Amino acid sequence: MTALQLTNLSKSFGGVIASEAVNIEVPAGKIIGLIGPNGAGKTTIVNLITGMLPVSGGTIHVGETDITHAPAHEICRAGLARTFQNTRLLSEASVLDNVMIGLHRHETSSTFAALLGLPSAGRETQELRTQSMELLDRFGLTEFADYPAGGLSYGHQRKVEMARAVATDPDFILLDEPIAGMNDVESDALADIFRGVAKDGKGVLLIEHNVRFVAKLCSYVYVLDSGRLISEGAPDHVLNEPLVISAYLGGDDA
Amino acid sequence: MNSFVAGYIPLFDLYCLHVGLALSQYIVLRVGVFSLATAAFAGIGAYTAGILAVDLGMHPVIGVIAGTATGMAAAIFLSIPLARLRGVYQAIATVAFIQICLSLNIYSENLTGGAMGLNNIPKTVGTLTLFIFAALATYLIWSLEKGRIGRAFNTIRQDEAVAASLGISIRKHQMLAFAISGALAGLFGGLEAYHSYAIDPKQFGFHLLITILSYVIFGGRNSVIGPLVGAAFLIILPELARPLAENRMVIYGIMLILVINYMPKGVADTAIDALKARKLKARGAASS
Amino acid sequence: MLAQQLLNGLVVSGVYALFSLGFTLVFGIQRILNLAHGAVFMTGAMVAYYTVDGGGPLWLGFILAIVVSGLLSVLVEIICFRRLRKTGDEEFGGVVSSIGAGLVITTIAQQVSNTQILRFPFETFPVVIFRFWDLRVSMLQLFMAGAAIVMVLILGYLFYKTAFGRRVRAVTDNEHAAMLMGINPNRIYSQTYFLAGALAGAAGVLVGLAFNSISFVMGDPYLMFGFAIIILGGLGSIPGALLASVVFGMVQTLTIAYLPSGLTDTIIFAALFLILLIRPHGLLGQEDAGNLGGRR
Repeated sequence: MTALQLTNLSKSFGGVIASEAVNIEVPAGKIIGLIGPNGAGKTTIVNLITGMLPVSGGTIHVGETDITHAPAHEICRAGLARTFQNTRLLSEASVLDNVMIGLHRHETSSTFAALLGLPSAGRETQELRTQSMELLDRFGLTEFADYPAGGLSYGHQRKVEMARAVATDPDFILLDEPIAGMNDVESDALADIFRGVAKDGKGVLLIEHNVRFVAKLCSYVYVLDSGRLISEGAPDHVLNEPLVISAYLGGDDA
Repeated sequence: MNSFVAGYIPLFDLYCLHVGLALSQYIVLRVGVFSLATAAFAGIGAYTAGILAVDLGMHPVIGVIAGTATGMAAAIFLSIPLARLRGVYQAIATVAFIQICLSLNIYSENLTGGAMGLNNIPKTVGTLTLFIFAALATYLIWSLEKGRIGRAFNTIRQDEAVAASLGISIRKHQMLAFAISGALAGLFGGLEAYHSYAIDPKQFGFHLLITILSYVIFGGRNSVIGPLVGAAFLIILPELARPLAENRMVIYGIMLILVINYMPKGVADTAIDALKARKLKARGAASS
Repeated sequence: MLAQQLLNGLVVSGVYALFSLGFTLVFGIQRILNLAHGAVFMTGAMVAYYTVDGGGPLWLGFILAIVVSGLLSVLVEIICFRRLRKTGDEEFGGVVSSIGAGLVITTIAQQVSNTQILRFPFETFPVVIFRFWDLRVSMLQLFMAGAAIVMVLILGYLFYKTAFGRRVRAVTDNEHAAMLMGINPNRIYSQTYFLAGALAGAAGVLVGLAFNSISFVMGDPYLMFGFAIIILGGLGSIPGALLASVVFGMVQTLTIAYLPSGLTDTIIFAALFLILLIRPHGLLGQEDAGNLGGRR
């Protein structure tokens, strides 16, 4: 059984400890939650996993591949996709183009062919276009394909970003606060998409602030506070733990 | 009629040469690197080709190939340290690179002819050759643009974090852009050497940098049409109104200020965007 | 001989300081690399020349040069940068826009001066040489050093001891917050650009007098040296620019005196390149703006 596995993951900024001995396992086909109050160190974990920060100690594995010290672009190639806390689309490019770049890692035409505009490269572009349109269809975005992504509503932008992440055909997806700033209707629509992705056999790590949303969606939850895991288990169980409640009540407004 | 055409041939030659250099500048900006080193690469290519022809009597084909190769090698070499910098720091570093090339060139008198330049280069390149190479360069950039590499370049320019998260190697693509930029500049530098009898160091300095940058800014830096339109407009404009020709640099200056402030995407790209928006609107109106 | 070279180097450093302080000041508050700064410097020298040429005294030329350069610098800010800052494209756009302004100014100067090298009439500045120990110092050198020191002190006083300096720092830290406190950022910017231009203009006059050679291209090498100085000092850092000016003036004078001529520029710009790679934030700069974080 493959998994996204953080083992004893640690990070310190010049002596100040930001994460300490964090162990998290995301099995394929499951949605796993990581919650914690503001300032608990969730963003640090995201940055460590996605290669935005160097790791101080411990390891990160995607299946068999060790990505602990891999640069960001190799992490995607190992099979881990991500979304960003505030959606980051190429706002002037069309929705279709935004999804097409997600397919980058599966493009096989040689640099040489691409440079000279050989037919093989042209065929590939056509093929990617078809694949991207299929993805857009699946996410209910077909009608927006040619519009600039920046002009879409916030909820739709989230969906495009999700489609782009799925386009990389990852084994695991990391979702960084995906429903921040959304209303219930929009977040329910996204929840359905997340469930569908997990059903396809992908492991999902959901990093969220909104406890209610996590409880609804996740089979297993980790709770982070001050850089350490203070609890883990099934959502009903974890959310009733006094330690978790006090962490949230002590330092948070949610 | 014939003399009328003949009068404009030098202008057309200049256009072909500068289109090549503008594409060289264009391709690095497109991948999000603020490099201004095209003038230096062109100088390296021109001097390689020139020295091979004058001192060693080599065939021009070999000279042009060697110029292309040295321009490309210099660019790849420069891309390694530049990858650690960003924004204006890249601009300053590349300007410093131009200055280093310039002063080394003037210093190495025995090899390059110093400040007097390299003279008596056999003229072996004519209008047709220039046109063919300019067309080839345009085709190369155009085909690169619509495929996998163009998409990766676009993504990197707009958001490096997103590009990396999708498995696009920033370093690899920026180095590729540099290699293409250096090769194009070296190629057209070499062509210039074989086209103009003589070259001198000042030709590949700050002045050329500004001229080339103006083409790309004016035309636009998001599609291959941009540099083509920019170079055409800025080369032809001063010729249309003779009094303006003497003040060519004033026009370039005013154009730079106006375009970057009021039409930051450039003339051609703004027009393309407007056309696209109109098409979408028309379709939206038809479907609703 | 070494002592004489060091002394000459120090005088040169003063001029570099005047030039690069304005350059770095503008970058410090707006993150804009103003490539028209060399043209403003040249304008100062031209104004002084034409004042003297028209029969005016040198002191009047000096004052006019400072005022005109200052105003020109303000004009550059308003025309070239103000709109770009609103659209948030000032880093790339500012470079392009100020290259444009530099072109316009230098081309106009070229027309006005007929592409000639202009020289002040003999004895515009009295030629007096003082000798002490084994050193020769001209009155002009003393004046240059004195003027540089006075202006740097005035600038330091303005920035660190007055309400104006506090407002500048407030705008630099957070333009929006400063506006809420009733500070008009555009006014602060205009004032800063005036100072930057005035210092550059003064440097232009001093250089024009020292070499008695004024031409429309005289700003170009100083712009290049300015790059080296403000990178060495850390972009935006005033004390850094001062220190770097001294280091740069000394190194340049000494390399010209003791190393094969013609290689000076190569050495200087190779050094600039290396500094960018090793310490992009310069000698005294603090933040790591030029370098990239993350695992690459």
